Amino acid sequence: MNPASTAISPAGIVTDEAAERGLLSWVATVDHKRIGILYLVTTFGFFLVGGVEALLIRLQLAVPNNHLIKPETYNQLFTMHGTTMVFLVVMPALIGFANYLVPLMIGARDMAFPRLNAMSYWLLVLGGLLLHFSIVAGGAPAAGWFAYAPLSESPFSSSNGVDYWILALLILGIGSVAGSINMIVTILTLRAPGMTLRRVPLFVWMVLINSFLIIGAMPALNADIVMLFIDRQLEAHFFLANGGGSPVLWQHFFWTFGHPEVYIMALPAFGMISEVIPVFSRKPIFGYSFVAASTVAIGLLSFGVWAHHMFTVGLGHTADLFFAAASMAIAVPTGIKVFNWIATMWGGAIRCTTSMLYAMAFIIQFVVGGLSGITFAVAPVDWQMHNTYYVVAHFHYVLFGGTLFGMLAGLYYWFPKISGRMLSEKVGRWQFWLAVIGFNLTFFVQHFLGFMGMPREVYTYPDLPGWGMINMLSTIGAFILGFSMLLLGANILWSLLRGAPAGDNPWNAWTLEWATASPPPMNNFERVPLIRGRRPLWDLAHPEQPDSPGATPQPAGETAIAKNKASMIVFIISEGFFFLMLVIAYVYYNRTAGTGPTAASSLNLRRTGVFTVCLFASSFTLWLAERGFRRRSRAAMLSWLAVTIALGGIFLAGQASEYWGLFENGVTVHTNLFAAAFFTLTGFHGLHVTIGLIALLIVLWLSRRGGEEDFRSPALETLGLYWHFVDGVWVVVFSVVYLRAFL
Amino acid sequence: MSTKEYLMSAWSWNPIVIGACAIALVAYAGLAGFKWRARSWYFLGAVAIFFLTLASPLNALANGFLFSAHMLQHMLLLLIVPLLLLLGLPEMGAGFRAPPWLHWFAGVSAMWIWHERTLCDLATRTETVRVIQIISLLALGALFWWPLAGPVERRRMPPLRGVAYLFSACIACSVLGIFIAFSPAGAVCPVYLNPPNQPALLNLIRHDWGFTPARDQQTGGLLMWVPGCGIYLAGILALLARWYGSVEKPEASPAPFLPAHPNAEEH
Amino acid sequence: MITQAASDLVLSPASPEAKALADLFVVTLIVCAVIFAIVAGLTAWCALKFRHRGQPGEPPQVAGNKKLEISWTLASVVALIFLFVLTVQAMRISDPPSERTPDITVIGHQWWWEARYAGGAVAANEIHIPAKTDVLVKVDSADVIHAFWVPQLGRKMDAIPGHPNRLWIRADQPGEYTGACSVFCGAQHAWMRLLVVAESQEEFAEWSARQTPAAKTPATPEAARGRQVFLARTCVKCHFIRGVDAEVQAGPDLTHFASRQSIGTGVVTNDATHLRLWLADPQQIKPACLMPDFHLSIGEVGDLASYLETLK
Repeated sequence: MNPASTAISPAGIVTDEAAERGLLSWVATVDHKRIGILYLVTTFGFFLVGGVEALLIRLQLAVPNNHLIKPETYNQLFTMHGTTMVFLVVMPALIGFANYLVPLMIGARDMAFPRLNAMSYWLLVLGGLLLHFSIVAGGAPAAGWFAYAPLSESPFSSSNGVDYWILALLILGIGSVAGSINMIVTILTLRAPGMTLRRVPLFVWMVLINSFLIIGAMPALNADIVMLFIDRQLEAHFFLANGGGSPVLWQHFFWTFGHPEVYIMALPAFGMISEVIPVFSRKPIFGYSFVAASTVAIGLLSFGVWAHHMFTVGLGHTADLFFAAASMAIAVPTGIKVFNWIATMWGGAIRCTTSMLYAMAFIIQFVVGGLSGITFAVAPVDWQMHNTYYVVAHFHYVLFGGTLFGMLAGLYYWFPKISGRMLSEKVGRWQFWLAVIGFNLTFFVQHFLGFMGMPREVYTYPDLPGWGMINMLSTIGAFILGFSMLLLGANILWSLLRGAPAGDNPWNAWTLEWATASPPPMNNFERVPLIRGRRPLWDLAHPEQPDSPGATPQPAGETAIAKNKASMIVFIISEGFFFLMLVIAYVYYNRTAGTGPTAASSLNLRRTGVFTVCLFASSFTLWLAERGFRRRSRAAMLSWLAVTIALGGIFLAGQASEYWGLFENGVTVHTNLFAAAFFTLTGFHGLHVTIGLIALLIVLWLSRRGGEEDFRSPALETLGLYWHFVDGVWVVVFSVVYLRAFL
Repeated sequence: MSTKEYLMSAWSWNPIVIGACAIALVAYAGLAGFKWRARSWYFLGAVAIFFLTLASPLNALANGFLFSAHMLQHMLLLLIVPLLLLLGLPEMGAGFRAPPWLHWFAGVSAMWIWHERTLCDLATRTETVRVIQIISLLALGALFWWPLAGPVERRRMPPLRGVAYLFSACIACSVLGIFIAFSPAGAVCPVYLNPPNQPALLNLIRHDWGFTPARDQQTGGLLMWVPGCGIYLAGILALLARWYGSVEKPEASPAPFLPAHPNAEEH
Repeated sequence: MITQAASDLVLSPASPEAKALADLFVVTLIVCAVIFAIVAGLTAWCALKFRHRGQPGEPPQVAGNKKLEISWTLASVVALIFLFVLTVQAMRISDPPSERTPDITVIGHQWWWEARYAGGAVAANEIHIPAKTDVLVKVDSADVIHAFWVPQLGRKMDAIPGHPNRLWIRADQPGEYTGACSVFCGAQHAWMRLLVVAESQEEFAEWSARQTPAAKTPATPEAARGRQVFLARTCVKCHFIRGVDAEVQAGPDLTHFASRQSIGTGVVTNDATHLRLWLADPQQIKPACLMPDFHLSIGEVGDLASYLETLK
C-alpha cells in the first residue's frame, strides 16, 4: 500500500484512494459525501417511481367515469405514491443533503459514526425494496399512506400489502432514527474550533432540530404500526371495534408522528432557503436568532397539534378548540420566517440564478400552502374541507411547491460543489418556468375541486358541472411538471459530462463547504479556515468589515461531550418516547374494565416484585462495576458485571415463567385488550433487557480477553446508560401495570 | 342567577390571603431598599395574580364545583406566581442550588401528586389540606423555576440545558394532561362529580356554561396540557433569546427598511 | 346521473349551520388573501427592485432589526386571535348541542349508506328529510371508517365503528342535495355518494308512510318468478325485503328499492336498462363491490328485475 494515498478518517477507518474507485467502492463506502450522493441518487430513482404513479393517477382522473385503471389498482397507486414520496423521497433526500453538507459546513472530516451512516443508507434501500416487493407478493398496500384502521386490518385488507408496508416503515424508521442520532452527535461534537452552536449555518441548525423531531416522532409511528402488526398477525384487537379496540387511537398515534413529520419534511428545506437567499442577495440572513429560535418553537409545538387532523372524528368542541388554538400558534413561528427571508432580500443585490428563482418561488408557493393550512386550523372550516381535494392542493403546496422547490434551489446551489461542474443556467431557467407553470396548474385548480365537494382518494368521479374540466387542467399541469423533471435529469446528465468546471466557490458564498475544492477531497479540508462568526468566508474576504468585530475564534461556555455517550443519550430519548406510547396504550386500553382477564385477576404482584428487585439490584451492581472500571480494578469490574448479568437473567427467567403461566391459563395476545397491551408493553421491555444482556455479555467477554492491562472496554459506560434506562422503564411499567392494579 | 351576578358576588375577602399579600409587599419593599425598579413589576404581578387566584370567583368555583377552574388555579399557583416572584427578586450574591433533577422533580411532582384521587378530594374538602396544597404549590413552583430564574444569576443553568429541562417538564405534564383529558369523568378528582348542593350555581355551570362533568374534566386536562406546555415553551423561547442575546452584536444599521444601497438606483 | 343546483357546494349553504361554516370560510380566505398579497407582492418587489444590475461592491450588510421582527410576529398573532374568536362563534352555530333522540341513524357500509328512521322507515343511499326542519343524524359504521358529508346542509362527521357521532342537518328549501363519503374506505370509496332529498312536511310524511309497509306480493307471473329467483339465488343472504324473509343487513334493504333514484350508491340511474345490466354483472358497473356476479341467466335477470321494479 502506498502510504501517500492512505488516509485515516476520524473514526479510525483506513481508506485507500485506489480502492475508492469502481462500483464496489460505492457499496463499501463509509464516506459521508459518497453516502450523501447515494442517498440523492436513490431518492431521485424513487422520485421517478412516485412521479410515474402520480401521472397514472392524473391520467385516470383526467375525465369523469373513467375506466382506464381498476379501483384496486388505483388505490394501490395512491397509497404507494404517498408512502414513496414521504418515506423514500422527501425524508431521505433531505437526509442525503444533510449527510453531504453538514460535516462540510461545520468543518468536520466525516460524520461521527461513518459505519452507522452507511447502515442508515442501506436500510433505506432495504425498506424501499421491501415495500415494492409487495407488488409481486400479492399486491401493494391499498389503505392510503395513513392506513386508517380498521381499513388496514386483516378483515378489510387481506392481502400482504399492509404487512410489507409495516415492515418497510419499521426498517425505514430504524434507518432514519440511526441517521438522526448520527447527525445530532456530529453537530454536537465534531464542530471545528470557533464553530459554536450560535454560529452554525442555519441549515445545520435546522437539521439539528429536525433530527430531534425524527427521534421523537418516529417512535409514535413505530408503536402504532407494531400494534397494527400484532393485530394482523397475532389476532389482537387494538384497533378493531368489535373486540373493544379503538380505531381512534390509531389516528391519535399516527398523527402524533404525522404532524411532526410534516415539519420533518419542511425544516431542512427552510434551512436550504436560509442558505441560498442570503448568498444570492449578497446579505447575511435577516434575524438569524429569530429564524433559529422560531425553529425550536416549531419543533416543540409540532408535537401538540396532531388532533387538527382529527377535527371530524368527533372529539368534542373542547378538544377541537384547544387544538385549533395550538395549530394557529404554530403558524406564527412558521409564518414569520417568510418575513425574515423577504427582509434578507430587501436592500440586497439579487442574483437571479436558477437556484434563487426556485427560492423565491418557494416563498410564494409555501405561503399558499401555509395559508390554506391555517384554514384547517380554523376547525369549522375543516369540518367542511377535510379530506377533499382542497387538502390535496394544500399539502402539495407545502411539500412540492415548498419542500421540493426548496430542495431544487439547494440542488442548483450545491450541485457544483458535489460534482465540480456547473448545471446549465439556460436549461435551468426553462426547467424552472415549466415546473412553476406545471405545478401551479396541477394543484391550484384542485382548491376549487374542494369547494365543489370532490373527496380525495377517489378513483373516479361523477360528471358534475366543472369537475371534468378542472381535473383535465390538473392532469395537463401534471404532465408539464413531469416533463420539467425530465429536463432536470437531462440537465444533470449533461452537466456531469460537459458542464463548466465550478471552481471552489462559484457563487462567492460564505459558509465553510465553499472553502474547499469542488468536489471536496476525501478528508474534506486541507485546512479549516479560522472561524470568528457566522460567515467565515465573508470574514476572510472582508477583514475590514467582519460580521462580529472582536469575536474570538472559540468563545468559552460551550463544552463538547463525548460522542459515544451523546449517541446513547439521544437513543435513549427515542426509546423513551417509544415506551411512552406503549404505556399510554396500556393505560388507555385498561381505563375501563372490559370482559375477560385483568391485571388484578391474572398477575402475581409478589412474584413479579421479587424479579423486579433483581432488576433494580442489577442497576446497582452495574454501577459498582462502573466504579471498578473507573478505579482500574479489573476483578471488581468483572465480578460485578457477572452479578449484573446473573440478576438480569433471573429477571428474564421470571418474566418467561410469568408468560408461561398466563399461556397455561389461556391468556394470550388475542384474549382481550388487557392481555394484548400487557404482552406488548412487557414483551418489548423484555426484548430490551435481552439486548442489554447480550451486550453486557459481549463486554464481559471482551474485558476478560483483554488481559490485566487492557481490560477497560470503553463501551461499558455507554452500555451502563442503556441498562439504567431499561431499569427505569421497568419502574414505570411495574407501577402502571402491577402497583396500579393491586394498590 | 346570571353569570354576571355570580362573578360579582362570589368574591371572598379572606383575611389570611390579604394579610399574606400585605406582608409580601412590605417584605419586598424592605428587601429592595424601597426603590422601584423595572423588575418590581414582576413582583407586583405575582402578588396581584396570587390575590386574584384566591379571592376571585375562580377560587369559589375551584372549591368543589368546577375541575377546570381548579386546574387553572393550580397552574397559576404552581407555574406563574412563583416564576414572577423569582423574577421580581433583586439580584443576590449567594444562594443555594440542588442538583437540577431535584428541582425538576419538585415541579413535576407538584403537578402529579395533587391529582392523585384521594389528595385531590381531600384538598377540596378539608381546609387544612387546602392550605398545605397552596403553600406546597408555591414552594415547589419556586423550586422548579429556581435554576432558571433564581436571583443568583451566575448560578443559573446554561440556556441549552434549560431548554432540555423545560421540554422534559412539558412532556411530563402533557402526559398527565392527556390522561386527564381522555379519562372517564371523575377518574381524577371524583369530588367534582358530586358538587355541593347549590342549585342556582350548578344550573349556571351545567346549563349556561355547558360544563357537564365529562366536559369539565376534559377542559381541565386540556388546560394542563396545551396552555401548560405553552408556559414551558415561552420559557424555552426566553432562554433562547437570552442565549442569542448574549453574543449578538449591536445592529449594523438602525433602519434596514430605508431605500436600498445607492447603487441600485443607477439604472 | 346526479343533478345538483350549485357547483361550489361548500360556498352555497342551504342551512344556517352550513352558512356559518361558509361565512367563516370566506372571512378566513379574505384574511389569507391579504397575507398572500403582502408576501407575494414584497417578494416580487424585491426581485424587481433589488436585482443586481452590475453595480460593484456588496450591499449594506444588515443582519436584523429586533423591533421590526417583534412587530411582524405580533401582527400575525393578532390576525390569528381574530380568526380564533370567529372559530369559537362559528363552532357554536354550526354544531349545536344534540341531546335528544336522533331522527335518523345513518350507518356507513362498504360502499353504501343505510338510513334508519326513528319512525321505522329504512332507506339506503337516498335520505329524505323534511325541509325547514332541524334533523338530528346519528352516524355509525358497520365496518371501516366512513364520513357523512352533505356540504350544503351542515358539517361533515366521521362514521367510526364503536364511536357513533351526531350532527345536525337542515335544508331551508326543498330540493336535492348531494354529498359523498369523505374518508377513504376501500376499493369503491369513489362510489359512496349521498343524496339528501328535502321535501315539504306533507311530502315527507307521505314518503315515510310509503317506506314503512312490507312489500306486496307480486301480481305478474314474471315478478312472481323474480321473487323465486331472489329466494333461490342467495340474494336473500344479504338483502332484506320486509315481508319476504328474516332480517339481514349485509346489503341494502330492498323493500322499497324501486322508489330510489340510483343503483350502486350513485354509480348509475335506477332505470330498466341499468337494473338489468347491474343484475347481469354488478362487477362490470361497480368493480370490487361486495355484490358478486351470480351468473344469472338472461331470463332470471329479467324476472328478478320485474320483481324489484314492483318494490315501490
